Amino acid sequence: MELFTPDFGLIFWMFLSFAVLFFILWKFAWPAITKMIDQRAELIDKGVEYAQQAKQDLDHAQAKAEEVMQEARRQQADILRDADRVKTQIIEEARGEARQAAAKELDQAKLQIEQARKEAEQNIRDEVSAFALNIAQKVVRNQMGDTKAQTQLVDSLLDEIEKKN
Amino acid sequence: MKRLTLIAILLVSTLVSMSFSAAASSTHGDGAEGEGKIDPKEIIFEHLGDRYGWEVPFCHHKSIPLPIIVFGSDGLHIFSSERVAHGQEYVDGGKTFRLAAEGDFKGKVVEIVDGKEVRPFDISITKNVAALILTVIVVCALLLPLKSYYRRKGYKAPRRWLGAIEALTAFIYDGVIKSTLKDKASKFAPYLLTVFYFIFVMNLMGLMVVFPGGANLTGNIAVTLVLATLTFFVTNIFGTKHYWKDIFWPDVPLWLKFPLPIMPIIEVFGIFTKPAALTVRLFANMMGGHMIVIVLTLLIFIFAQMGMAAAGGTAVVSSLFSIFMLLIDVLVSFIQAYVFTMLSTIFISLAQENPHKEHAGAAH
Repeated sequence: MELFTPDFGLIFWMFLSFAVLFFILWKFAWPAITKMIDQRAELIDKGVEYAQQAKQDLDHAQAKAEEVMQEARRQQADILRDADRVKTQIIEEARGEARQAAAKELDQAKLQIEQARKEAEQNIRDEVSAFALNIAQKVVRNQMGDTKAQTQLVDSLLDEIEKKN
Repeated sequence: MKRLTLIAILLVSTLVSMSFSAAASSTHGDGAEGEGKIDPKEIIFEHLGDRYGWEVPFCHHKSIPLPIIVFGSDGLHIFSSERVAHGQEYVDGGKTFRLAAEGDFKGKVVEIVDGKEVRPFDISITKNVAALILTVIVVCALLLPLKSYYRRKGYKAPRRWLGAIEALTAFIYDGVIKSTLKDKASKFAPYLLTVFYFIFVMNLMGLMVVFPGGANLTGNIAVTLVLATLTFFVTNIFGTKHYWKDIFWPDVPLWLKFPLPIMPIIEVFGIFTKPAALTVRLFANMMGGHMIVIVLTLLIFIFAQMGMAAAGGTAVVSSLFSIFMLLIDVLVSFIQAYVFTMLSTIFISLAQENPHKEHAGAAH
């Protein structure tokens, strides 16, 4: 039967055309095409991997941010508590210092008052003695109404001055 | 949906009117010339077989002439198939050629030597050869633009036609070749992909019933034989030592291979049955598809002899069936190209086994 007996001419041409086609595609098409398919598959794989990694990183970063926030809040609370404590302490200290300063001032004031009192006492004493002298002078002047007595007195006074000098 | 209904109605009405005219002409011809009887067998084999010249649509007696190349008793002769088309004898350089009307060489070019018909060495560009050349051009036209696209656009994925070609290539390359051959994929991929595209395009071109198609190429045993033989050579030339050892000294009990080499004989037989199976599978599937469509069409003309009503009814039913069959054949075209490629890949990968690997699914 003709259908089942291969014709030589067709075998020849079939082989030739397949060889030509294979050569053309092998030389010009397949390496580029298969390389591109492989490369694109690799690129897509890498892209997916990268995206997954990025998502993971993002999740991680969010968790981390949350953690940092918590930490910050905790620190804030700590700092506030510390500040409160320090504030009371400072106030306390200031109060103590003020008290001390006041006591010191008071002592000084007492000292000054004492000194002033002493000075005043001295002044009074001086003034009293001056008054006494004046009174005594006047009393003496009245007693020495005559010239002789005066002269005598002057002389004695001059002597006195002389002695002083 | 509306458009589809419209197309269907138009189609059916055309078919009915055509079938009536066919019936009329056949009954008319019956009376006038006495040769209204049709010979289905001859028509079927004429359509399935090869021929010199390529018939043009709607005119059975005209055909596109193709060159006849023969080595006669005194050397090379090249002439147009038109010169011997209608049974004429053609004298070229003192030698007479014609198409044999009957006998063993019926329909082939023969040389008349001393009054006897002698078949010369014939490598004519027949209809099938022309279709082959056309297929080569079409496959190149499909694939070379893809390559130049990659050169221009790099990683950007192609769209439309090129995208479809790329998807198909990736489907075969990733799904069949790479998954079976693993790291040896790049070595055999050019051959296997070429086989796939060649068969696929040949199949589809065969389904087009008018000029640039219609040649029953993959339904011709010479074509499938060459393809299977190439797979045979690729399988065995690149076969590993382990593959050959498995054939001549397989891992079976000793009495199965010595003194009577039962298993080696079976294995050697297996080397040849694989390509034989490839040859017949593709050939039978594609020829069957073509034959069914031709038979369905012929039914119209057989029933036309019984009268108008029978002719009309058969025309509608047969045409719808042949459209259905042609659509199935489009699917079959892809499946057969895919199966041929897949089996070739498996045969090649079986010959690539290495001793340290496990025999994963070593089916024969």
